[in-house]
Amino acid sequence: MRPRSTWHPWAMLGPTLALLAVFFALPIGVAAYESLFSWDMLTPPRYVGTANYEALAAHGELLRIALRTLGYSVLVVAGTMTLGLGLALLLDRPGRLFAFVRASVFSAYVVSWVAVALLWMWILDGNAGPIAGFMRSLGLAPVSFLGDPGWALPTLAVVGVWKLTGYAMIVFLAGLQGVPRSLLEAAALDGAGPWARFRHVTLPLLAPTASFVATTSLVTSFQAFDVVRIMTQGGPARATELFVYAIYEQIFLNLSVGRASALTVVFFVLLLAVAGLQLRVWRARAGVSR
Amino acid sequence: MRESRSRYVAVLALACVAAAAWLLPYAWMVLTSFKTLPEIVAHPTAPLPEHVDPGAYREVFATLPVARYMGITVFMAAAIALLQIALALPAGYALAKLRFVGRGFAFGTVLACLLVPAQATFVPVFLLFAKVHVVNTMTALVLPFAASALGTFLVRQALVSVPDEMIEAARMDGAGELTIVYRVLAPMLKPTLVSLFLVSFVFHYNDYFWPLVMTTDDHVRTLPLGVALLREQGTGVRWHIVMAGNVVLSLPVLTLFAIAQKHLVRAVSART
Amino acid sequence: MLARRDLLRACAAWAALPVAAAGCGHRARPEYRDGRVVVTFWYAYGDLVRKVMLDLVARYNASQSRVFVEAVHQGDYYECLAKLRTALAAGAAPTLSHVVCEVIPYLARAGVLEDLGGYEGARVLPFVPALEQRGTFAESDTDGHAQPLVAIPFNRSTPIAFLNARMLDEAHLAPPRTWDELLDSARTLTRRAANGETRWGFEVPISWWYWVAMVGQAGGRLVEPDGRVSLGDGAGEKALRFWQRLVRDEHVMRPPPGRDYQAWQSSNESFLQGRIAMMWSSTAFVRYLEDNARFPVLAAPLPRDVRASVPTGGTMFVVMRGAPDAEKQAAWDFVRWMCDAEQTITWSTRTGYMPVTLPAVEGLVDRGWYARHPNDRVAYDQLAAADPWPWAPELFRVDRDLVEPRLEEGVLEGADAHALMDAAREEAARPA
Repeated sequence: MRPRSTWHPWAMLGPTLALLAVFFALPIGVAAYESLFSWDMLTPPRYVGTANYEALAAHGELLRIALRTLGYSVLVVAGTMTLGLGLALLLDRPGRLFAFVRASVFSAYVVSWVAVALLWMWILDGNAGPIAGFMRSLGLAPVSFLGDPGWALPTLAVVGVWKLTGYAMIVFLAGLQGVPRSLLEAAALDGAGPWARFRHVTLPLLAPTASFVATTSLVTSFQAFDVVRIMTQGGPARATELFVYAIYEQIFLNLSVGRASALTVVFFVLLLAVAGLQLRVWRARAGVSR
Repeated sequence: MRESRSRYVAVLALACVAAAAWLLPYAWMVLTSFKTLPEIVAHPTAPLPEHVDPGAYREVFATLPVARYMGITVFMAAAIALLQIALALPAGYALAKLRFVGRGFAFGTVLACLLVPAQATFVPVFLLFAKVHVVNTMTALVLPFAASALGTFLVRQALVSVPDEMIEAARMDGAGELTIVYRVLAPMLKPTLVSLFLVSFVFHYNDYFWPLVMTTDDHVRTLPLGVALLREQGTGVRWHIVMAGNVVLSLPVLTLFAIAQKHLVRAVSART
Repeated sequence: MLARRDLLRACAAWAALPVAAAGCGHRARPEYRDGRVVVTFWYAYGDLVRKVMLDLVARYNASQSRVFVEAVHQGDYYECLAKLRTALAAGAAPTLSHVVCEVIPYLARAGVLEDLGGYEGARVLPFVPALEQRGTFAESDTDGHAQPLVAIPFNRSTPIAFLNARMLDEAHLAPPRTWDELLDSARTLTRRAANGETRWGFEVPISWWYWVAMVGQAGGRLVEPDGRVSLGDGAGEKALRFWQRLVRDEHVMRPPPGRDYQAWQSSNESFLQGRIAMMWSSTAFVRYLEDNARFPVLAAPLPRDVRASVPTGGTMFVVMRGAPDAEKQAAWDFVRWMCDAEQTITWSTRTGYMPVTLPAVEGLVDRGWYARHPNDRVAYDQLAAADPWPWAPELFRVDRDLVEPRLEEGVLEGADAHALMDAAREEAARPA
């Protein structure tokens, strides 16, 4: 439709574009600029060129942060998608009981990360938590889930899965509505058992849904911060130092704005690449399923 | 397709396991909140408290100005959600219905911003706010989120399927563009807008990160921050107080969820 | 046709933006309330200590009508410090706060701390020498300059050993006085149950403060007189290796989970539950541990290696230079009041932190406090072995960024102590 006046569209988009520019687009540019300086906010900044990037890359620290973040995200996405799909299939039935169970699973998604993180810290507590008590009653020595460098990151991933599975489940449930019963019935008449029906009818039709869930979950878990801040503060021995937490630490604990900005730039580029890759996969899959 | 009975029993059993996995943690949270410190030190894994002791809740309300924090958080979340709707409507309308030079660019910008998380922007934004002395104010908490790329996108998608004739007719009746957007189209989009409001409200109510970095004291501290501060250092086991704080924090959102479940679910599962 | 309403609405929307951006909430300074100068005081503890703090603040506010101290809780020491520094950068800093000793040289060099030397009575307050700024830090910085008075002792502590007296009696052991005795006692006291659960002989948070104590005990110093950050050289490595030996080779020590104060909390809990026989913690927890343990708690000085040494800890009051004069004067009034014998006695008897003035110590001796609470004396007596901190602006960064993560790596993952300390020294030599 033609606008009534040429400036109308821009007036309507103006506030939105201005706010998005100031708070989302420009800051990335500013971060790129600030990453070339060394600045602690209390004294004047000092130009250092690429020294911040070099310092981050030294000893492989930057690579380790990236790998940890990717590892955590992959674990969370794989977990939520598997569990989410499984629960969607299991609970896609009428009745109050199933509605109640669905609501229970989804409720974890709605509650805040602060509550979830504190709750799980208490549950996993090596001294007084129920899981430790349970292990003792089984005759096992309790594991320090959050204190052992090997266990810490997977533990955080499990908490992430617990919180986010509801989201995946709901989206898959919506996707399952889009699988025509006629196709499933035809397959059943052809003699296909439930597993075969799932593999050949349901799964292909769910591919776009799955890719959507995977992309959004990946982007979300890439940005994990609250769970680290509350449960492990990046420890033990840096085992759970994920990207956003590293940015936070550089700025608030080390007061190193230059380093934090450098991390921000790398983070954004990486996220862009990862999301772009996911979208490519999504488009390809959606194209194939047609 | 009829299911065999044994299969149904298996499904039921698994459903109960799922329910337990997601409900038992909450139960543990609530039970702990009614225990006392000596109980927790002596018998931490006892399932039930010796008797229901609201001491932890008293402590929470004594330590934190719960009503104040809650008020701040609710106001902030509601303000953000409402602003987002108010701005997304005309923006989505322009992108969906008006043809103009640069529309593709504008749409692309909006889409690109979908990918940028708040954590990547807080350093420059904090410094910007510091320069204009706005740090630690409600403005710092609300303004950055007043425009929602997601909201704009969803409104656009919803409006694309509205027939042009309706808008033409309204124009011919003499309605101004903004009247069309807010008085004619908005009511048609009610489900989308309600869902958008709920998702946004819940997300920003729960937000820990942005208030953490944007506030420096009690002035506009939000409830998630307050509850996180209940964790004290050194003088051990205050889990009953922390869990009580958790309950207080989660109750409003869970209540909202119970009431408005359908809309939240629809918002989450809505996609292109 | 252009409706005027549309035009007006559009303009309003655009105009609202800068108005909103101007924001509201910028408090006028100096701030007054009911005619009293308001001193914003950011503090950083919780639970028991916080209650005592708030009691004292209330008492002060009630005792006079010129000043009103507004105490704001900011989390733990590190959170509070982070908020303080960012608030300084944002021009929204409080008047008064308290910070750990390690960061004071850095803040002083950044020029954000008020020089308190000229304030009434500052130079003649009868502080315990090891606890005031002059005794806490080495005489001068590496350039030989004396430092202005910028910090007043507040809650001061040293690390001490806490022992489960019952377990020690059963094993007929006395508190260990040397590293070797510590190792032997820990071996004796460690018990392994059938289900693999262990009663540990010893536990200490893998933390900078305790490592610094051991570096001193092994005869090293953190910063050499010429300014080189040596981290104790061989002594630093020896300290780390001792921990590694206790944890990984002898299996008599368990590193508590969690970072920073989570680890301290975890140790205290484990001690109270009887899961560990000996631990190193802060004298700040004397009262808490004594009150909550179901066994007699014995406090003892830390063992020595080639010498006895402990760092001091806790925090000191600092006043922000950027605050208005009226507020700074008011803050000084409060700080002085806190240093009066009565207040500092209240503070230390209700917590376990050391009394910071000599008259307070005498007062406590006179009323027989130490006779009834021998554990409280341990930290004070140990001050004879207290080593000062170097006045090095990079000290805090060395602590948080370079050493602490490497200590964790060394103990939890078994990395080579020499390689770790070398890497830390190398990074310390690089400018921030």
